[in-house]
Amino acid sequence: MAEKTKRASRKWIISVLSVVGIVGIWFFLTALAKVIPPAFLPAPQHIVIDFFRLLRDSYVGNTLIGHTLVSLQIVLGGFFLAVIIGIPLGILMGWFKRIEAVVDPLFQLLRPIPPLAWIPLSLLWFGIGIKSKIFVIWLSAFVPCVINSYTAIRLTDPLLVKAALGLGVKKQRDLLWEVAIPSSLPVILGGVRIGLGSAWMTLVAAELLASNAGLGYMMQMARRALEPSVIILGMLVIGFLGALMARGLRALEKRICPWVVEEEH
Amino acid sequence: MSRFSENFLNQIYQEKVFLSLSSVLGFLCVWYLVTDLLQLMPPIILPSPEKVFFNIYEKISIPVGEEKLFGHIGVSLVRILVGVGIALSLAIPLGVLMGWYENLDALASPIIELLRPIPPIAWIPLAILWFGIGLGSKVFIITIGVFFPILINTYLGVKFVEPLLIKAAQTLGAKDKNILWEVVVPASVPLIVAGVRIGVGLGMMCLVAAELVAASSGLGYLIMLGGDDLKPELSIMGMILIGVLGLIADRIILGIERRVIYWKKE
Amino acid sequence: MEENRQKDKLVAENVSVFYEKDKKNFLAVDDMSLAIQEGEFVVIVGPSGCGKTTFMNTLAGLVRPAKGKIFMDGEEITGPSAERGVVFQQFALFPWKTVFENIEFGLKYRGTPREQREEIVRKYIQMVKLEGFEKSFPHELSGGMKQRVAIARVYANHPQVLLMDEPFGALDAQTRTIMQEDLTEMFMTEKRTVVFITHSVEEAIYLGDRVVVMTARPGKIKKIIRITAEDLVPDRRQLGYDDVVNLKEFRDLKGEIWGLIKAEILEKHIL
Repeated sequence: MAEKTKRASRKWIISVLSVVGIVGIWFFLTALAKVIPPAFLPAPQHIVIDFFRLLRDSYVGNTLIGHTLVSLQIVLGGFFLAVIIGIPLGILMGWFKRIEAVVDPLFQLLRPIPPLAWIPLSLLWFGIGIKSKIFVIWLSAFVPCVINSYTAIRLTDPLLVKAALGLGVKKQRDLLWEVAIPSSLPVILGGVRIGLGSAWMTLVAAELLASNAGLGYMMQMARRALEPSVIILGMLVIGFLGALMARGLRALEKRICPWVVEEEH
Repeated sequence: MSRFSENFLNQIYQEKVFLSLSSVLGFLCVWYLVTDLLQLMPPIILPSPEKVFFNIYEKISIPVGEEKLFGHIGVSLVRILVGVGIALSLAIPLGVLMGWYENLDALASPIIELLRPIPPIAWIPLAILWFGIGLGSKVFIITIGVFFPILINTYLGVKFVEPLLIKAAQTLGAKDKNILWEVVVPASVPLIVAGVRIGVGLGMMCLVAAELVAASSGLGYLIMLGGDDLKPELSIMGMILIGVLGLIADRIILGIERRVIYWKKE
Repeated sequence: MEENRQKDKLVAENVSVFYEKDKKNFLAVDDMSLAIQEGEFVVIVGPSGCGKTTFMNTLAGLVRPAKGKIFMDGEEITGPSAERGVVFQQFALFPWKTVFENIEFGLKYRGTPREQREEIVRKYIQMVKLEGFEKSFPHELSGGMKQRVAIARVYANHPQVLLMDEPFGALDAQTRTIMQEDLTEMFMTEKRTVVFITHSVEEAIYLGDRVVVMTARPGKIKKIIRITAEDLVPDRRQLGYDDVVNLKEFRDLKGEIWGLIKAEILEKHIL
């Protein structure tokens, strides 16, 4: 028992040392020895300084929070639309073989194409405004939602259905609502989580390509201006937000599906 | 199965096939109708199917930008292969060592956990700043994308390998390093291959993204060019080809998976 | 009391083991001491969760006791070794290796030359009656066959002590009987020291020279019962299982041992 805590604290120390070490080497190479030029990689303190600076001042049209909100709005907009349309469609596809037969082949044709690849076409169709971005983001979240919903419903444990039938459930609709959908919720929510991650990635790409606001735009501009500290700042914010959203969804999953047994990690 | 149920199932199957085929055909027809016959959509917005196919045929011999069609495909292939190759040779060994040696895990985890949530696409501006618009920046992005899923899966596979197998090896006389390579790694292969599958899928996306943003050749470049030059048939061509490439890659990996995990029941 | 002092092969001296649950420490094995002679077949029985497996794990060297020591041939052991082979209840076969490759694992590891290896492996495949399955994978085998591979694997490695943790627990009754008879036959042709855990009292009496009855958790030794030639028919091991089981002496022993275990279960309210 003492050995376990000894191991745990040793690991902690190593991790802390690792962080200190990396930051130290970074600082040394950029600020002290000046081996790496600031146009290539900024010294660590610059990133912190710029973080606080951008909280207050504008950078290419918006503060850091402003850009973040712009990005978030677009992502969440497209994402919710995808969830609202995708999940019901997936469920219907999973439950009614006919619907699956009609929709599925089109789906399988479009599925291998990465949602990002739709960006130029989307720009052509919808212009440089928000609509084109929402379309692509919607598409990228839509696919996993549909697929997971549809797979989950298809794989509903027939034993559970039989149990329900034996307890008096008669109508198809009731079977769907009382058995298939609840038992599929964990996988459906998993698809939602994948969709959110996908949407976030697609947003970044869309903003890199054609935008005049948002985190991706901010990073592109910083690149042109040879200001890598702002780029890195953007990356860290994007990473952080992505992780935050994933965590949030996982907490939501636990609330909605309290019966699911969590794996180790 | 009785004759009756067999016929019944065949009927359903046939009905399914019929519906599927007709929906695809229907889609093509609608597409054709809307663009060519009824001319509802200007060709700038949505070209007719024949225009797309003709375009593909044409571009095999007529170059777009610097390359002909196969040249573009080749360039994209090189990028993804190099990226996947680098990622594999880095991620698997690192994942194995991190999963096995706790101290290494503690050492590398902080930086990995910091970098992991950052979508590979977000690295693009930095990559362009560092590597320019050449092969390097694209390979860099692809490598990052493919690296993390493989690393994580390998790490999990090794760290959480069935302890019983390790005990069995120990009581048969094997010692530390040999147990790692003779027992733990083979036992983790299923997870590692799953990670490779995810990684390659992600890598394809990174390829497209990198080629959209900063390239002068490749399939992603074609897609982007189509949008810029108001030639959507170019874009659609690129999209179809990317889709096909992705499917082929996935099938190959599935094939590898089946070969490598020959000991598992289906 | 021994008539002639035989060599102490494996000795557990005041062994205590803790385990952790919900951030608290519980005693799994409480100050157990046991001396096992060379060539002896010792069976450990006891109510569920009494710590039999944990104790065996300390004998194997897979678990470090919090208190006490384990000695083999007079020397303290420091970890697992090929000299204390273990047959696990859940088989623990390497799924990516064939039957042949599984059995040759220990031999290959220590560098036994190929021809010799093949000879040894084939000998044990014959002994466990799995001819024809050399190239099969574990997932293609039934439970009984997997267990036989696990036994052959350890046997082929020639450990001085064989530790078997409910090796027949996962088998159906018929396979079990056959395996018990097979094991007895093997034990008689190649005498080695065996420590065997089981839930089945009948199995214990049929197989063992001594039966160690453990108390409920925390596990201690409740009583050690000697199954000597005087208690049972002299060559019980030559007889088939069915013949031995019906002997009066057998039933008496069974009653005695089962009574001890039942008392533990009732007293400590395990069920």
